[in-house]
Amino acid sequence: MSVAPMAEPVFAEPLHPGPASAISLEAVSKTYAGGVRALDDVSLEVPSGAFVAVVGPSGSGKSTLMHCAAGLDVPTTGSVRIEGVEVSGLGETRRTELRRERIGFVFQAYNLIPSLSVADNITLPLRLAGKTPGPGWLRELVSRVGLPERLDARPAELSGGQQQRVAIARALIARPAVVFADEPTGALDLRTARTVLALLRSLVTELGQTVVMVTHDPAAAAYADTALVMADGRVVEQVGSPTAPAVANRLVALEEG
Amino acid sequence: MLQLASSMARRRVAALFAIALAVLGGAALFTGAGVLFESGVRSHLPPGRLAGADVVVTARQSLPVPGDVSVPLPERAVVPASVVSQLRDVPGVESVVGDVSLPAAVVAPGGRVVSTEDPASAGHGWSSAALLGRVAVQGRAPVGNGEVALGSSLAAATRLAVGDRARLVIAGRSGSYVVTAVVGSPHAGVLLADATALRLAGRESGVRAGTVDLVGVRAAPGRSSEVADEVRSRLAGSGLVASTGASRGDAASPAAAASRGLLLAAAGSLSGIVLLVVGLIVAGALSVAVEGQRRELALLRAVGATPRQVRSLAAGQASVAAAVGAVPGIVLGYAVAGQLRGLLTGLGLPPEMPLARSPLPALCALLLLGATVQVAARAASRRTSRMSAVEAVLESHSEPREVSRVRVVSGLVLFGGALVLSVAPLLMRSALGAGMTSLAGIIASIGLALAGPALLQRLGALLGPRSQRRASSPLWLAVENVRAFAVRSAGVVSTLAMAVVLVLTYVLAQTTVMAAVERESSAGSLAQHEVSAGALGGVPDGLVEQLRTIPGVKAASAVSSTTVLWPHTVLGDVEVEPEPAMVLEPDTWDVLDLGVRAGDVADLHGATVAVSEDVARSRNAGVGRDVALLLGDGASVQARVVAVYSRSLGFGSVVLSRDLAEGHTGLLADRVLVRTERSSRLAEAVDVQPGLALSSISSGSLPVPPEVKLNLVVILVLLGYVLMGIANKLVAATSQRRDELAALRLSGATSRQLRAMLRREASLLSVCAIGSGLAVAAVPLMLLGVGFLDRPWAAGPLWLLPAVVLVVVGSTFACIELPGRRVLRERPAYAV
Repeated sequence: MSVAPMAEPVFAEPLHPGPASAISLEAVSKTYAGGVRALDDVSLEVPSGAFVAVVGPSGSGKSTLMHCAAGLDVPTTGSVRIEGVEVSGLGETRRTELRRERIGFVFQAYNLIPSLSVADNITLPLRLAGKTPGPGWLRELVSRVGLPERLDARPAELSGGQQQRVAIARALIARPAVVFADEPTGALDLRTARTVLALLRSLVTELGQTVVMVTHDPAAAAYADTALVMADGRVVEQVGSPTAPAVANRLVALEEG
Repeated sequence: MLQLASSMARRRVAALFAIALAVLGGAALFTGAGVLFESGVRSHLPPGRLAGADVVVTARQSLPVPGDVSVPLPERAVVPASVVSQLRDVPGVESVVGDVSLPAAVVAPGGRVVSTEDPASAGHGWSSAALLGRVAVQGRAPVGNGEVALGSSLAAATRLAVGDRARLVIAGRSGSYVVTAVVGSPHAGVLLADATALRLAGRESGVRAGTVDLVGVRAAPGRSSEVADEVRSRLAGSGLVASTGASRGDAASPAAAASRGLLLAAAGSLSGIVLLVVGLIVAGALSVAVEGQRRELALLRAVGATPRQVRSLAAGQASVAAAVGAVPGIVLGYAVAGQLRGLLTGLGLPPEMPLARSPLPALCALLLLGATVQVAARAASRRTSRMSAVEAVLESHSEPREVSRVRVVSGLVLFGGALVLSVAPLLMRSALGAGMTSLAGIIASIGLALAGPALLQRLGALLGPRSQRRASSPLWLAVENVRAFAVRSAGVVSTLAMAVVLVLTYVLAQTTVMAAVERESSAGSLAQHEVSAGALGGVPDGLVEQLRTIPGVKAASAVSSTTVLWPHTVLGDVEVEPEPAMVLEPDTWDVLDLGVRAGDVADLHGATVAVSEDVARSRNAGVGRDVALLLGDGASVQARVVAVYSRSLGFGSVVLSRDLAEGHTGLLADRVLVRTERSSRLAEAVDVQPGLALSSISSGSLPVPPEVKLNLVVILVLLGYVLMGIANKLVAATSQRRDELAALRLSGATSRQLRAMLRREASLLSVCAIGSGLAVAAVPLMLLGVGFLDRPWAAGPLWLLPAVVLVVVGSTFACIELPGRRVLRERPAYAV
């Protein structure tokens, strides 16, 4: 697994972003008003087609890492590139457009638009970009997430698992470079969570989709190719081919450490 | 529960502020109307020139109506002069005075006419000075026909002193008088020798022979209540009234006292529309507030609160917010009442009429608003309180796709009711009939609020597929939002539409009636000029004859206005309402054309009347019938109908013959109508006579009547209140869409696209509101036009419609744009 956590103690030399990198962060720090340092000089690179889990105790900086990597927020210092495009210097509108085309999001709270049908929710990013989905793509996505019969339903009429699968289809519709998933199973029961994680896994394996998933759940992290363990705003460890016990042990060690 | 309510309330400041604001406005309007109503029932004029009388005896100046407020009589009803001697030997009485009032004014050197009291009743007999109280008198009593005493303020204004010779016009007769005394009271007016006063006031012969206007009784110090009791017992059964204390003020001037009815009328016309509008706005603010805390309320359900507890909580919170708004609202209400009184003064309310200021109106406002808030809050939280706890904690929320049938049907029923009401102008060509137009408009807009969601869904279903295919993404999103949240959107649309309907129907009803009145009176006025003599207390003797001799004058005739009461049955109830009536001379037809349809107005001699077509039809009073009327002083008369005419808007629905009204109205006619040739010497002739005023009655010159001004002010206030309600609703609703807007941004919408979406929504809402408002207002206004102007459109200023559209569109955009911008400034990642 070619993910390289670039926290300073591990590697001294920064990596140069190549075309195979979906996301690359270089010496990224994020300091909030009041002096809270949420990210502390993080460098990392996510190659295309990887499934990366970011784990860590709450307050470790994993959500901030995601916000910065996905261009939702700009770092205080350092550089973030999405497919080689520097994000830090872009204005809010330009960043939105970049996100719209190259990044997909899946959130714990689904964040579907209540007034739109399932089909409209899924195609929303394309409409906002002024594009129409290819004829086969929407159909393939919907059957992949298992909702071909619910296209006309409103989000309020779906179960939590179904809503999350709609959100995943929406994240994929624009064929993004990376899908960011922020605690995608946090609101779901164990069984539904498993189907959602299996769905994410299959996207990576079968479609070659790059996925970055933030989670506190070691069992969820086990679906990824690599788990990055965060603490105090730094990536402190990289676990290749993670298993739930291995990740859980690392997290316990951190809490005790 | 209340503690929980208030701690939850603290986190919902914006929505609760909206409730407080709505209640504040409502409290101000309710209290204002309440103060006017209470004043109409209870307030009294200051005793003025009767301050020194302990007991004032008058005829009953009101007509009791079974089951209703008694009707005040504006014309003076007289008292037999024998009462004076009857009361003279009451133990403890110091003096008893029979008092008459007559028109009087002083012509100061240079021809300026001066009067400090109402010139129509400024003259009295010398003995009336005793009723003024303890006043200093400088000089001696006037004796005979050539002497007067003047009140101190009148003397000061005319610079006359004891011994001076002055010209006065008394009861229409100009004469030269010697001032024998100055009486140290501002209310004294002009005092004549008692016999002279009685003679000039027409009490020696004729209809009013042997009568006085009122009898004032002065008691020895400390014995006034004892005297009052004895006076009452002696007068028992005579129909006369003994007033003491504050109620004496009304005895001095029945016309002024009767004008208090204006307060009642104003309060009455305010209360219905204000009640409807306030209820709607408060309910609207509450539904937005409840919607905003849907999740919290639902979570309470999840942790074990019963639906009833949830509703009580919502009602409790709303009551706290309402209480915060009510206090300043009530204070404002008392101020508003003062302002309204100022307006009513222009309408004929005596400026010295005080307002009754008791806590009663505030209490009523509190009760009414409290009930409104409780009911509205419970109704608004009904759906949330009944949700299953599981449903309640769902992340995504949308409105049900089907709007309840009951709601749609009741909306349509209201439309039907409004339609029926809007036919009124076809049947009643009066201000009352026109008023139904506004009422129909309001009721239809409430129907719109109920049926609106279903209508919007239909519209959305029509527009939806189109926008799917072609429209830009902001427009498409806007259409989908309006369609999916049809109830929320219809709430905004119907309130905006109500603003449109309110303004259009209310204002155009006024202006259309005005136009119709003007059309009729200019078509019916053969005279081009009007000569009035308000400063002299009425048209002086000989003026009509004198005007006729002026070169170029073709005809002149005196006209007076009075009031009649005509008891008639409406739907089984006896109605007695004061109606304005003209008193005409037999020769008035040279200057006035009433549009006679049957009979002949030349027969208006003796006990006869002419009536309008409406009245002839509805009260079975065709030509040749005998009708029973009460004149303005309460006198019962029988009169024969000699003519039926059509121009009731221009000239009222009843016309009395001079003979019939004689002795039951003021001594002098109000004005003279003059018809001239193209050029005449009328202006020069009027100019040289003191106290006369000449005005033109050519078409298009009617001044805006004060009641129209009052109504326009009311509509402006209500419009402001409705707009505030709309702003409340829109700001709160837009702020509550934070999650949705954040989710859209995470789906890739730029701020610009979202602002565009919000603006498209604002346009959609405005277009729907203006469209439905116009549609709702169109039918009543069309019928109004047909009823009053014989054409299917109403009369009014052309700028009204664009102005209303501008206000509605402007406030909608501002109230969506500003909170939208604020929400969009947040970073989306932190908003979810």
